[in-house]
Amino acid sequence: MIRFEEVTKVYPGGQQALNRVSFELDSGQMAFLTGHSGAGKSTLLKLVALMERPTSGQVFINGHNLNQITKKQVPFARRDIGMIFQNHRLLMDRSVFNNVALPLIIEGFHLSDIKRRVAGALDKVGLLSKLNNMPHTLSGGELQRVGIARAIVNKPPLLLADEPTGNLDPSLSLEILQVFEDLNSVGVAVLIATHDLGLIARMKYQTFTLRQGKLIHDGLSSTDLRESEFEPII
Amino acid sequence: MSLLFSQRKSPGAKRVNAGHGVVMFFIRHLQQALASLGELWRVPASSLLTMAVLGVSLSLPTTLHVLLKNGEQLRSTWDNAAEVSLFLKEHVSKEQAAKAVNRIKLYPQVSKVIYVSQEQALTEFKQLSGFGEALSYLDSNPLPAVILVTPTSQFSSPEGARELLEVLEQQNEVAFGKLDVTWLEKLSAIVDLLKDAVFALGFLLLLAVTLVIANTIRLSILNRREEIEILKLVGATDNFIRRPFLYTGFWYGLIGGVIAWVCVSLMLWSLEGALSALANELDTDLMLDGLAFSEFLILIVLSAWLGWLGAYFSVTRHVNEIEPENQM
Repeated sequence: MIRFEEVTKVYPGGQQALNRVSFELDSGQMAFLTGHSGAGKSTLLKLVALMERPTSGQVFINGHNLNQITKKQVPFARRDIGMIFQNHRLLMDRSVFNNVALPLIIEGFHLSDIKRRVAGALDKVGLLSKLNNMPHTLSGGELQRVGIARAIVNKPPLLLADEPTGNLDPSLSLEILQVFEDLNSVGVAVLIATHDLGLIARMKYQTFTLRQGKLIHDGLSSTDLRESEFEPII
Repeated sequence: MSLLFSQRKSPGAKRVNAGHGVVMFFIRHLQQALASLGELWRVPASSLLTMAVLGVSLSLPTTLHVLLKNGEQLRSTWDNAAEVSLFLKEHVSKEQAAKAVNRIKLYPQVSKVIYVSQEQALTEFKQLSGFGEALSYLDSNPLPAVILVTPTSQFSSPEGARELLEVLEQQNEVAFGKLDVTWLEKLSAIVDLLKDAVFALGFLLLLAVTLVIANTIRLSILNRREEIEILKLVGATDNFIRRPFLYTGFWYGLIGGVIAWVCVSLMLWSLEGALSALANELDTDLMLDGLAFSEFLILIVLSAWLGWLGAYFSVTRHVNEIEPENQM
């Protein structure tokens, strides 16, 4: 699904964010991406979402080399990728319905289709009753779930999540992760960047660990992944 | 159209057939146009302020245009008043003069001929000059006989009348001819100058309108930076993001044009009262010509187009610049 081949990213100014990173995420697979702030997690996700381009190396999605995607094609490529952000990035002046419907409006769906799909997506995250609410009336966990609903409303085969539980307490974090697991169980590939190791430890999913731009660990998250692998967190 | 996953059914593709697609295209544009109008309505105070600025800017060239139009009309009525005076030689008898009048009447360029004999000229001069009695002390009549020739409308322009004057001066009986068109020529020159000035000023004001709209749209793009970033993240094309701003510019221009029309109409209406009072005083028929419907349409279409153009400049520059990059 996602394949990195010797990807290096150097930002203008010389800061090296990724250093010859190679890995592969199979289709329908769920995996975690961990590491400190500044280890390159965000850069890696940005490369997948075409928000940045690699300095060298290649990124493939479903066998397509992203280097060959032109600027004009970027919006169309992004429609195949659902993205979830730490601060949910919702439009605060529009209702939940309008926020979730956004990707469908962009793709030019019929209103009847839009209504059906938005209801479906909100139902999946358990927020169907909040359809007509404005975002500021929702809690942090609910906002994050609306963000997930928006990411899955056009049924993309790939989901990227950047610190989706960063602002949430543990029980809410678990809830969010269960939503991802549900989505993964119906065949959606999910890549979650997080530094919440407690969260990962509870689950047996593949984990890619970045340190200073290098991929240092590529294996199942389990007992062999200890906090000692990292410099102490916080 | 799914780009990365060819096996993935593009949900957009199955929805419509071609003919339906064209209809949907227009429906969607109409929806977006109305949505942009709704956005403006949500901040009525600032929207109206911008539109008022545009309206006032547009009403100035429009007013100048109306004044120019009326000036031109005035000139054309004065053009018809061009008159050639032919002063006859002293020794020409009344019979010879009558023959000359008949001859001149035959010219196709001439519409009216009036003969003023020496005596008539003197009486008229006595009445009009105010010298009255003083003139009766003169031994002989110093005034020549005059033939007043009114050209046909075709030859009533300064150039045409001058041509006619040259022809009529060839007559034996005529000492010299006079054409009082220099003031007409001056008026023409002034009107032409004004026309150029109005054109230049109009151009500058239309440029100002475009820039005002471009700047307004720029601010509104920067205000909605977050929204644009989010739209780009969920796969909106630049065109999709641009469209509401272009419609906003269009509405600014259109409504600004309507405000300009209202301003000019109100001004003409208020002038009309003063003008009819003046007309009564002068015992003439003065009428202000307002904006015709076609001119109204031109004003509206032009201002809407300028609005779109200003928005286009801003949008092309700034929407491209905004790329989603923070948190993720």
